[in-house]
Amino acid sequence: MKNRLMCHLVAGYPSGELSFSVCEALAEAGAAYLEIQFPFSDPASDGPDIQNACTRSLAAGFSVKEGFGLVERCAARFPAVPVFIMTYGSLVVRPGVEAFLLKAKNAGASGLIVPDLPWDYDEGLYAAGEKTGISVAPVLVPGTSEDRIRRILGLRPAFLYAALRTGITGSRTELGPENLAFLDKLKGEKTKILAGFGISSKEQVDALMPHAEAAVAGSHFVRIIAKHGEAGAARLKAKLADAVKALL
Amino acid sequence: MQAVKEPRGGFFGPYGGRYVAEVLRWPLDRLEEAFKDIAGCPDFQAEFTRLLTDYVGRPTPLVFAQNATRILDGAQIYIKLEGLANTGAHKINNALGQGLLAKRMGKKRIIAETGAGQHGVAVAAVCAKLGLRCRVYMGEVDMLRQKPNVFWMQQYGAEVVPVLAGAKTLKDAVNEAFRDWATYPEETFYILGSALGPSPYPDMVRQFQSVIGKEVQARLAQQGLSPSVLVACAGGGSNAIGFFSPFIAAALPRLVAVEAGGRGKGRGNNAVRMSGEGLTGVVQGYKSKFLLDEDGQVLPTYSVSAGLDYPGIGPQLAALGESGRIEFTSAMDSEALEALKFFAKNEGILFALESAHAGAAAIRLAPGLPKDAVLVVNMSGRGDKDLFITARELDRENWKSFLKEEIQRI
Repeated sequence: MKNRLMCHLVAGYPSGELSFSVCEALAEAGAAYLEIQFPFSDPASDGPDIQNACTRSLAAGFSVKEGFGLVERCAARFPAVPVFIMTYGSLVVRPGVEAFLLKAKNAGASGLIVPDLPWDYDEGLYAAGEKTGISVAPVLVPGTSEDRIRRILGLRPAFLYAALRTGITGSRTELGPENLAFLDKLKGEKTKILAGFGISSKEQVDALMPHAEAAVAGSHFVRIIAKHGEAGAARLKAKLADAVKALL
Repeated sequence: MQAVKEPRGGFFGPYGGRYVAEVLRWPLDRLEEAFKDIAGCPDFQAEFTRLLTDYVGRPTPLVFAQNATRILDGAQIYIKLEGLANTGAHKINNALGQGLLAKRMGKKRIIAETGAGQHGVAVAAVCAKLGLRCRVYMGEVDMLRQKPNVFWMQQYGAEVVPVLAGAKTLKDAVNEAFRDWATYPEETFYILGSALGPSPYPDMVRQFQSVIGKEVQARLAQQGLSPSVLVACAGGGSNAIGFFSPFIAAALPRLVAVEAGGRGKGRGNNAVRMSGEGLTGVVQGYKSKFLLDEDGQVLPTYSVSAGLDYPGIGPQLAALGESGRIEFTSAMDSEALEALKFFAKNEGILFALESAHAGAAAIRLAPGLPKDAVLVVNMSGRGDKDLFITARELDRENWKSFLKEEIQRI
C-alpha cells in the first residue's frame, strides 16, 4: 500500500517566494495533501520549530493576503493536491468566519484546520464551512471524551485531524496499539482521518497507513528548512524532496 | 450537520468562552468541576479563610487619605492597601485559592505565567507554603527588567523558565504555560494569574479576588459609609474585577477601570484596549477586546508598569465596559509616576506602578466630585518591587552613581 502524506509548511517561511518553492518541492515529491499554516503571533499549540518559523515569517511582514496568495499559487499549480489552511482563531474571527472561508474558497483551498475554534466554540465556523464548501476539519486528541468524539463525528466532517498524543507539535510520537486504536475509534463512515503530531520516519507513516487517510508531517520539514533555508531554492527543494520520498 | 450543542458556560455577554485546542479541553472541564465543588465545601473555605488571615495578612487596611482629600478638595479619598498582603500585591489571594484547589485535586506540579513577577512571586510563595513543586514561565524581556522578582521566586524554591518565543513578555509566557499544560495535563495544575483565559479561569480568579471588594464593603459599612466611586487599574483585570465584584449587580457606585496609557497614542505605545483601539477577537482561549492588527495578529504593547503591559482584557470587564456598568479611562506613564510621588509624599503610601495608574485617575476624578462622596482607590500592589524602574525614572543620576558604587562594593 502506498503511503499518503499531508505535508505541512509555514507560509512566508523561509521567505515569501521560497515558501512557494517549498510547496513545489513537497507536492512534486509526492505529497497527497498540503497543509499551509498562516503564521499567528501567538501559536500556543506549536512547538519551538514551528513557533520560530512563524516568528520569522511575521517579522518579514507576512500578511493573511499573502497567505491566500500562496494557497492560490499552490492550488493552481497542483490541482490534484488538496490544500488545507491551518491557522489560529484570531486570524479567522477578525475578518469574520464566513469572509475568511470565502477567501479560502476563492484561493482554491479545500479545507481548514483551526485548533482553537473547537466545534462548540466555533463562532459559526462549521456552519459557514458547509455553506462555502470548505471542509472544516475538527482536531481530536487521545484524551477527548467518548461523548465529545460522538458529537464531533455527528457533525459528519469530511476530514478530521487526529493528534496522536497530547502536547504540542514537534516532539517525536511513539506509535503503539493505543494511538492506533484511538484512530480506529474515530473512523466514521465518510470521515477521512489525517493523523499527525511528531511524525518524522517512514516506520511511523507505514504504521499509520491502514488506519488513516494520510499521515501529517510538519515540524520535520520545518527543521529541514531551518537547516537549508539559506542554501538557495534548488538545494532546499532537493533536501525537502528527499525528506518526502524517505517517508513514502 | 447540526449536532446538539450544550448550553455554553463561561460567557459574559458576548465575551469569555473556552476557545482552546481539544488537548486542553478535558483538563479545563475537570478544573471547572473541581472549582464548582469547592463552593459547597466548608473545609476548603475554612482553610482558605484561615490562610488568608494568618498567611496573607487579611483583612488589608482601608485608610482614609486625609491629606490627599484636603489637597484635591473634592471627594473623600480612601485607599485600600491591598499591597500590604504578603508578597506585596493582591495576586496572592488568587494564587492561594488555586494552590489549595490544586492540592485538593491531588496535583503535585504547579505551573504559572508571570509578567512583572508579582503573580509568579505569589505562586512561588504559596507553593513553598503548601509543599508543591513550582515552575514559573516568564518572558526573557520581563526577566531582565524584573530581576528582583526572579531572585525572590528562586528563593521560594520555584524554577523560573525564560520564554524566548514571540515578544518574550507576558503573553508569550501565557502561551508557554498552555503548551506545558497540554503536554503534562495529568499531573499539572496551571495557576493563571489574571481574570482571563478560557473558562473557568475568569470566574475562578474573580471569586478568589472578590475578598478585596467584600472587605471594602464591610469596612465602609462599619463606619456608616457607602462608596460613590471605586477606582482600580486594569491590565488583565484581576484586581479590578475582585474589587468591583460585590458592587457590580447594583447601579452604584461608579466603577472606574484605568488602563495603561503608556507613552501616548499609537500602536505599540500603550495597552489601552477598552478606551482605545481594542478589537473583538479570540486569543489565548477567550473572546474579548484585544489590541490586534487588521489580520488579527496581536500587537505589541507598552507600559512603564509590566503588570499592565498586556494586549487583552478579562472578558467580564470587557462586557461590563460595553454595557456601561464600568467606565474605562487610561493614565499615561508620566501621570502614574506623578501619582506615585503624590501619595508617597502626602500619605506615606507607596503605590506599585500598576496601581499608581488608579491613583492617577483618582487624582483626576476627586476634585470634580461632591465633598461627601466617598472615592475608594485600590492600591493593588505596593511599590518597593519597582525600585529599579522608579529610581531610574525619578532620580536617574543619583541612582546611576549608587549602582556604580554598589558594583564596586560587590
